[in-house]
Amino acid sequence: MHLSWGPEEVAFREELCAFLDEYVPPEFERGYDYAGEGEGEDGADIVPGWAREWQATLFDHGWMIPGYPPELGGRNCTLVQTLVYLEELASRRVIRSFHYPGYGIVSPSLLEFGNEEQKKLVPAAARGDTIWCIGMSEPNAGSDLAGLQTRAMLDGDRFIVNGQKVWTSYASVAQKCFVYVRTDPDVPKHKGISLLIVDMDTPGIEVRPLRHLSRSAGFAEVFFTDVEVPVENLVGGLNDGWRITQGSLAHERAGLWVEGVCRLDSTVQGLIGIAERYGRHTDAGVRRDIAAFYEQALSLRALGHKGFSSFAQGSSAPEHSYMKMATSEIGKAAAEYGMELQGAYGPVMDPERGEDNGRWVNYFFLSFANTIAGGSSEIQRNIIAQRVLGLPRS
Amino acid sequence: MDFSLTDEQVMLRDTARALLAKECPPILVREHVDDPTVALPLWSQLKDFAALGDGPCTDLCLFIEETGYAAAPGPFFATTALFAPLLAAIDHELLPAVLAGDATGTVAVAGADGQWTPNDEPVKTFVPEADRVDFVAIVGADARVRVVPSADVSTRHVRMIDFSRRFFEVDTAAVAGAPAAELDPATLTNLTARATAALAAEMVGTSRRLFEMALAYAKERIQFDVPIGSFQAIQHRLAECSLDVERATAAAQYAAMTLDAEDPERFHAVHVAKAAAGNAATRSAKDSIQIHGGIGYTWEHDLHLYLRRAVGSEYWLGTTSWHHDRLADLLMPI
Ligand SMILES: Cc1cc2nc3c(=O)[nH]c(=O)nc-3n(C[C@H](O)[C@H](O)[C@H](O)COP(=O)(O)OP(=O)(O)OC[C@H]3O[C@@H](n4cnc5c(N)ncnc54)[C@H](O)[C@@H]3O)c2cc1C
Repeated sequence: MHLSWGPEEVAFREELCAFLDEYVPPEFERGYDYAGEGEGEDGADIVPGWAREWQATLFDHGWMIPGYPPELGGRNCTLVQTLVYLEELASRRVIRSFHYPGYGIVSPSLLEFGNEEQKKLVPAAARGDTIWCIGMSEPNAGSDLAGLQTRAMLDGDRFIVNGQKVWTSYASVAQKCFVYVRTDPDVPKHKGISLLIVDMDTPGIEVRPLRHLSRSAGFAEVFFTDVEVPVENLVGGLNDGWRITQGSLAHERAGLWVEGVCRLDSTVQGLIGIAERYGRHTDAGVRRDIAAFYEQALSLRALGHKGFSSFAQGSSAPEHSYMKMATSEIGKAAAEYGMELQGAYGPVMDPERGEDNGRWVNYFFLSFANTIAGGSSEIQRNIIAQRVLGLPRS
Repeated sequence: MDFSLTDEQVMLRDTARALLAKECPPILVREHVDDPTVALPLWSQLKDFAALGDGPCTDLCLFIEETGYAAAPGPFFATTALFAPLLAAIDHELLPAVLAGDATGTVAVAGADGQWTPNDEPVKTFVPEADRVDFVAIVGADARVRVVPSADVSTRHVRMIDFSRRFFEVDTAAVAGAPAAELDPATLTNLTARATAALAAEMVGTSRRLFEMALAYAKERIQFDVPIGSFQAIQHRLAECSLDVERATAAAQYAAMTLDAEDPERFHAVHVAKAAAGNAATRSAKDSIQIHGGIGYTWEHDLHLYLRRAVGSEYWLGTTSWHHDRLADLLMPI
């Protein structure tokens, strides 16, 4: 057990910092949450041009997914270096991309489960040249993802897809979608699911944008009516899609803990700033509350690193099962507390009047997404109880 | 930061675990309630590890966590986490004997208000194990330290919630003239941080014991024809509880690492560790009793032995709230 990084990591960080100092776009100064949760209320670009250029720049310099080889936007770096990379980016409040499905889910899934043709889609996905969306959730299949009903019938050399997806982030701007479909309705539900790559401009696809509760453009409903998908767009085996969903969620979770703790840290730092600016930092109750948030943030960072230490040595890291639930729940409480500290100004969204350009309401809204999307907190607790603690299923 | 254990550390932890499982079963903790001498054979085993008192904090904490798991009674904590580091700081001639396990000691700091701050009051409070150690180190105002044989001071046992760790009031008037060594206050702060980190590690062990007892019971107790652990209310309670134990574990190890590295953030880390451990300890104690139902409320069941240790530790060397307040002083200096 020791605290400091080795010389290789230090050198790695220096190289990274030199790159970031030179290339990070000034737009990031506008705020951490700007990314993802869209700025504009009406029709603002979900993925603005400067963010596309930034992602391409990262890719071209081998800084997009550092663990990948150069042709996939990386530099073959180690797991520890990847952690250094993620922490450095987060501490600067910089994100790699405004659309995570392509680099975060599609790329690793195709590299693991895709055929040679499909793997050729990875560079564009990681560079952000292709925007991807993920069609998992349906009106009647949310937490119970395996209950999905969008139907794909094999008809010669193509599938005919009918059904509906919902909450599909980026669907209104995406070129391609990972669509999970039911290919066999007569077997237990986990065993009849397949994964298809679907071009969003295929006839029969209708995207109806939905706004987030923050009013920003966000996700969408996607309707499929007799959509023809070539059979070679099947990823992995027929009816073997469930295994890939598990992989996708794992990919999503793997590096996500770093983002979770960094977001929490930055919220807690925000609380300290607000308390001082609003003269509440001398209040004994406020001091104690903020310290309690700090305690949770720091202990969760330690827990993430502890899990990472076993992960980097090839062991399983049950620690990481806790991270999403914990950081998102505490983040929600912290966001609310940040508004509370501002008294009457708490709910102000006017950038010229509100704290932090009036962004705390956005933090507050975003904190709700974090406890729902990608497996709700309740589902996380079920997973911890049953898979980590070995309690019997109810 | 790298949390992985070296082979030596794995061995140390496994040795501690096996030794304490054998030498400190619940029955010993129970018998200790009325007869503190039952802890003597345990000390004769633990004394082989007294040298940990002058080594890396990470190693000491690994070992001490296991003593917390067992709610081990006796002078181990006082000797290795309090007394030995203090002797080392003042370069005291007793140190080799203590590290060899041939002498034991405790440290007296708090006065009437119970706060761990040096003062010149003759009567010291909350001194652990004062009647069974060989020496007492008395820390006075300006961090002057007198090390005296425990036989030279008078002690009064103060009964508290926890029977496994015994606290005393110590009247030091008779040794007021004993020679004093100078300790610089910054060093005392470091020593207190080290002791606090060790206590946090110990509490993590106790919390883990309480949590494991609850988890095991949830799997075996049948109601409504199914294990109670299949009920979501129980599952979610245990999931939250295990999160708190896990993050306290990580926080305690992190604090020990920062102390070993003399990292500038070490005091932050120690306050976080003790607060997180206090939270884990009290939560696991309460959840464990609740999940056990009526049987958990009995004297006959062993749960309360560990609940007592957990809750007692929460109040020693600063409560969770106290550490939050100190943390706030670091984060938001006024
Ligand atoms: C911002 C955002 C972006 C999203 N992006 C995408 C995307 O790009 N692609 C995609 O496919 N999906 C996406 N989703 C959907 C997301 O994955 C689902 O919302 C989530 O899985 C929950 O499903 P649901 O909304 O149907 O809620 P439900 O499953 O109906 O849950 C409702 C409530 O019941 C609780 N609940 C459900 N089952 C259990 C149980 N077994 N035990 C205890 N409690 C339970 C839940 O925790 C929740 O509180 C997104 C969601 C959000 C909020």
